[in-house]
Amino acid sequence: MDQENLYTLLAREMAGELSKEEATALQQLLLQDPNAAHIREVFAQNWKSAKNSYSHAQVEQLLEKHQLRLQQAIEVREPVPATTAPRKIWKLYAGIAASILVLVTMGMYFFHSKPTKAPVPLAQLVTSKRTRSQIILPDGSRVWLNAGSKLNYPEHFEPHKPREVTLEGEAFFVVTGDAERPFHVHTKTFHVHVLGTSFNVRAYPTEDSAVTSLVQGAVEVVMNNDSRQVVALRPNEKLTVPVNAAMQQTTSAAPTPVPQKSKLALVQDSIFTETAWVQNKLAFKHLKLEKVAAMLEQWYGIEIDFRDDNKRNFYFTGVFERESLEQVLNALENTRSFTWEKDSTGKIWIK
Amino acid sequence: MGKDKQIQSLFQRVCYENDIQAYNELYIALCARLIHFSASIVSSFHLAEEIVSDVFITLWQKRNDLSHVDNPVVYLYVSTKNLSLNTLAQQKKHQHRSLDHINLDMLSIAPDAENGMVSAEVAQKIEKAIRSLPTRCQLIFRLIKHDGLSYREVAILLNISTKTVDAQLTIAVKKISQVIRFDLSNEIVQSFLRIDS
Repeated sequence: MDQENLYTLLAREMAGELSKEEATALQQLLLQDPNAAHIREVFAQNWKSAKNSYSHAQVEQLLEKHQLRLQQAIEVREPVPATTAPRKIWKLYAGIAASILVLVTMGMYFFHSKPTKAPVPLAQLVTSKRTRSQIILPDGSRVWLNAGSKLNYPEHFEPHKPREVTLEGEAFFVVTGDAERPFHVHTKTFHVHVLGTSFNVRAYPTEDSAVTSLVQGAVEVVMNNDSRQVVALRPNEKLTVPVNAAMQQTTSAAPTPVPQKSKLALVQDSIFTETAWVQNKLAFKHLKLEKVAAMLEQWYGIEIDFRDDNKRNFYFTGVFERESLEQVLNALENTRSFTWEKDSTGKIWIK
Repeated sequence: MGKDKQIQSLFQRVCYENDIQAYNELYIALCARLIHFSASIVSSFHLAEEIVSDVFITLWQKRNDLSHVDNPVVYLYVSTKNLSLNTLAQQKKHQHRSLDHINLDMLSIAPDAENGMVSAEVAQKIEKAIRSLPTRCQLIFRLIKHDGLSYREVAILLNISTKTVDAQLTIAVKKISQVIRFDLSNEIVQSFLRIDS
């Protein structure tokens, strides 16, 4: 009887499932049975596979083989921007974006900055005014592309060289860490240098400023007009750069508007207005109605205008997820600061 | 256990930080065990290496959608099991999608004689004793002794209760202990003989 118990306790000890009381009981049994102590030692040793016991060197080889297969799998799959995956991710948005239009053009391009060597085939992901999309780059980094944006990236990143992409519009990046190949995002206003991190870049050509918002990790923002001007960001900080400032020639004597560092705007829980769109949320905090209207125009692909210009300067805060345009407008209207109506062309008028 | 925590942390770095370094470490930590497990199902180490590689490729591709995974080890073993059984079903065209027909050659383990605790001869005897055990019992013994899985992890993987795991493991430990005991008593007899002579 004691022997049966001994085997159970030895089994549990080996599995790391022995309770404190059982450990004491096992000690007792071992005292009575000198051979059992030897048996216990044998079980405590590392045992090896009788067949194909992989050595360290062999495991390294396996890893190399695996990395090659992974690379192939990613290259085959990734450059085709997901037409099915985003549908799932953006399904909350399905009411508005009934059809997801993803235009992809593949072509041969050169990066301006690169000396003419082997041409790197470039891929481009474009979203129309009413659609957003998501893509995994050849290195595994993820990019969410907001409406009306354009991202250029190479079909594969070269070893030992920075990973370069060009953005027009807005995108959220979750960059795969790779110390050997920093990640560079180029916009018309600035470029962002990254090691491995998640951040948002907003650089629409129609807007008067470009913004980088950092969620995690660390980035450096380098101004295009002055490469000596570098701003490092820490998590939850954003940098707003007036477009004029970056475009202006250094010869200009007028004081140029300065890039401004500020905190991300937390609206609720962990929702930042700057990155809410990635989670399919429309969020704004203490924002003028005219700016909110611009967001709604972009979000729902409609047009909004003001009959009463005074209303432009009312401030609003809100987070919306599945609401229709009408629901959002009604919710804001509930504050009794304005009313809205839709004309026969579908245009929204605020008064 | 410390090792589990380490794997958990590597897994999280993969899922939340897209950390390729952590991903590689995770592969190194688990590939050999998973390959043996897969090989026992598909009866080929070559095929098993590809299957486990595919499991890790899927892990990388789905890494941002795995927040529901609370035990990465179980997740990877279950993925390996499923992919191995699927591969087998495809190859053989008839389906026996269970672990009842595993190839135990691929799973057999024994104490390392180089540790000096047992002789090569006894190690062989132990291996033989394990092979005489029922299939499931052998599999459970390996998963716990060699792969370091917990009762709960084995129970989830094999769809059995932790009580069954405990009972099966006890059977294996008893059988192996008897071999060692027999050897020890033999040694005593031998030493007496030597004294006598």
